[in-house]
Amino acid sequence: MDDKIYILVVEDELEVMDALIKDLEEFESYFPVEAANNADEAREVIDYIIDHDHKIGLILCDHVLPGQNGVDLLIDLQNRPEVAKSKKVLVTGQAGHEDTILAINKADLDHYIAKPWTKEDLEKVVVDQLTDYVINNKKNLLPYMAILDTEKLSDAIRTNQMTDH
Amino acid sequence: MKSNKHIPWLNDNKTILRFIRKLITELDELQQQLLELNEGDVLFTQGEPLEDVYLILEGEVRLTRTQADESDVTLTKLSAGNFVGLIAFTTGEPTLTTAKIMEKGLALKMKPQQFEQYLSDHPRLQHPLQQLMLNNMIQRYKSNIRLHAKTHLLNKELGKERDDLKKAYKRLEETQQQLIHQEKMATLGELVAGFAHEVNNPASALLRSAENLIEIYSTFEESDSTYKLFKLGLQSVPRDSTQLRKQMLTIEKQFPWVHDRSSVRKLAQMPENALEIIRSRRKKQPVEELINHFEAGRMIHNIRIASQRIANLVKSLKSYSRQDQNKEAYVDIRDGIKDTLLVLSNRLKFVDLSLKLDDIPKTCVQVGDLNQVWTNLLINACDALDDSGKISISTAHSENHITIEIGDNGPGIPPEIIHRIFEANFTTKNQGAKFGLGLGLPISNEIIQQSGGSIKAENLEAGGAKFTITLPIISDC
Repeated sequence: MDDKIYILVVEDELEVMDALIKDLEEFESYFPVEAANNADEAREVIDYIIDHDHKIGLILCDHVLPGQNGVDLLIDLQNRPEVAKSKKVLVTGQAGHEDTILAINKADLDHYIAKPWTKEDLEKVVVDQLTDYVINNKKNLLPYMAILDTEKLSDAIRTNQMTDH
Repeated sequence: MKSNKHIPWLNDNKTILRFIRKLITELDELQQQLLELNEGDVLFTQGEPLEDVYLILEGEVRLTRTQADESDVTLTKLSAGNFVGLIAFTTGEPTLTTAKIMEKGLALKMKPQQFEQYLSDHPRLQHPLQQLMLNNMIQRYKSNIRLHAKTHLLNKELGKERDDLKKAYKRLEETQQQLIHQEKMATLGELVAGFAHEVNNPASALLRSAENLIEIYSTFEESDSTYKLFKLGLQSVPRDSTQLRKQMLTIEKQFPWVHDRSSVRKLAQMPENALEIIRSRRKKQPVEELINHFEAGRMIHNIRIASQRIANLVKSLKSYSRQDQNKEAYVDIRDGIKDTLLVLSNRLKFVDLSLKLDDIPKTCVQVGDLNQVWTNLLINACDALDDSGKISISTAHSENHITIEIGDNGPGIPPEIIHRIFEANFTTKNQGAKFGLGLGLPISNEIIQQSGGSIKAENLEAGGAKFTITLPIISDC
C-alpha cells in the first residue's frame, strides 16, 4: 500500500509559490508537494495524483488567481469525493469577509492563514491538519510519529486499539 | 344673484338703510336705541357673551381677532348697512371678534327681545331688517368663499416654495458630501505620502544589503564551480508550476541518484549549464551542498527583485500623489500615467494592458489632479470589465493639444445614460463600491475643464467604452 499523501499548493505568484514550497521542505519526505498556478492546473494535478492512486492530504490555496478564484475552486472540489476529505487551508491576503464565510460554509474550510505568514505558523497548521487527516484516513499511524503531532497520534492509536475489540 | 322681482329695492342696502333711518325718525322707541359711535370705542371684546346687536348707520367698525400667539388679525371693516355682532346674536355663542370704532358715527343698538318686539309692533320693519340681515350673511359668505380660494392659492405657492427649499437642501447635502469626500481623499493622500516615505527607507536598506551580500558572498566561494553555481543562481528566472513539474520528471530520469524530492525540485529550477556543473562535481561534493550554492544565489536574487519592486512602488506612489506640491509642473504626462499604472498594478493584475504612448511634448499640469483622473478612468474600466479583459491607453499630440485615450472592451456605457455620466451623484455602482459616491467622473471632468481641456465618452463599434481627454499644451507655468 504505497499510496502517498500529497500536499497541493495553489498560488499564481512564483516567488510566493517558491517560498511556500521551501517552507514545506521538511514535510516532503513524508508528504510530497505539488504546485499549480491556477485553478485549472490544480485540477490537472489533482487528476494526476488520484489517477495514480495517491491521496491529497492538504491543499494550501491562495484566493486571488487568474480565472477561477481560490474560494470557488475549493467549493467546486467539494463535489469530488476523493478530495472532499482533504484538508483545505486558504493562504491569502485578499479574501474578503464574504468570500471567507462562503469558504467556511460551503467548502468546509479547515483553516485560514493570512499573508505574510511565518514559517512557524505555517508548520504548525500543516502538522495539525495532516495529523487530523492521517488519523481519519490511515490505519497505520506509526510512520508519521516523527513528523506530525506525536501526542495526538499516540492517543488515536490507543483509541483505535480499544475500539478494535 | 337674482333680484327679488317683487320688491327690487330690497336688494339694495343703501335704500333699505334709508328706509330704516326714516322709520327711526318716526319711531321714538327706535330713537332711544340710537348709539353714538366715538372713534376708539370698543363695542365688544372677543370671547364675551353678547347682549346686543348693532346696526351701523354711519361710521366704520373694525373687527379683529387675537390669535393663539397673541397677534391680532384684522378680519374686516364694517360700515353703514352692516350688522355688528350678528353671529353672536344669532347663535348665542360668545363673540369671535373684537369690535372697535374706527370712524365715528351712529348705530342702532338692539336687544333680542327688543328686536322681536319691533318686528311684531312694526311689521313694516320686518322685511327690510330681515333682508338686511340676509344681505349681511350673504356678504360674509361671499367673503368666506373668496378667502377659501385665496388660501388654496397660498397653499399651492407654499407647497412650491417648500419643494424648492427641499431641492436646495438636497443640493447642499450633496455639496457637503463632496466636501467630506474631498477631505477624506486629502487625508488619505497625506497618509499615503507618509507611508510611502516611511517604507522607502527600509526598502532602500533591503536593496543595499542585498547588493552588499552579493559582494561579500562572492568572497566565501572557495571553488570556481561553486562560485559559478552561485552566479547562475543570481541570474535565475523562476519557472512556473507547469514547467517545474515537467522538468522535475526529466531530472528524476537524469539524476536517479538524487532521491530527495525537494532536491529534485531545486535541480529542476536550474539551467542546463548549472546541471552540467552538478554532474561534473558529483563525486567530489554532496549534491545538496552544490545545490545550496545555486539556491543562495537564487534567494539573494529574489531579495533584490522584491526590494526593487517595493522601491519602484514607493517611488510611483510618491510621484503619483505629489502631496508636497499641488501646484503646476512642467512634465511629460506619460510619467504620471505610468506611475498610476504601477500604483494600480494589483487591480490591473489580470487585465490585458496595451500601451501606445507616443512621444508628446511636456506641458504645465497639476500632476496630482491629473493622476486622479487616470485612476478614476482606469478603475471604472476595471469595474466594467469585472477585472479581466483589455484596457488600452494611447497618447498623441497635435500642434496645440495633447490627446489621451483610455479604452476598454467591456460592455460599454448604456446609450441612455451616456450623456449623464459626468453629472454629480449619478452612479451605477451599488453601495459597497469602494469610495463609490458617483463623484469620480464629475470630479475628473472638473479637473480637466480647469486645465483648459475637455473629456468625452463614447462607445466603440467593436464594443466597450473609450474616454478621450484633450489638454492644451502650455509652456509656461
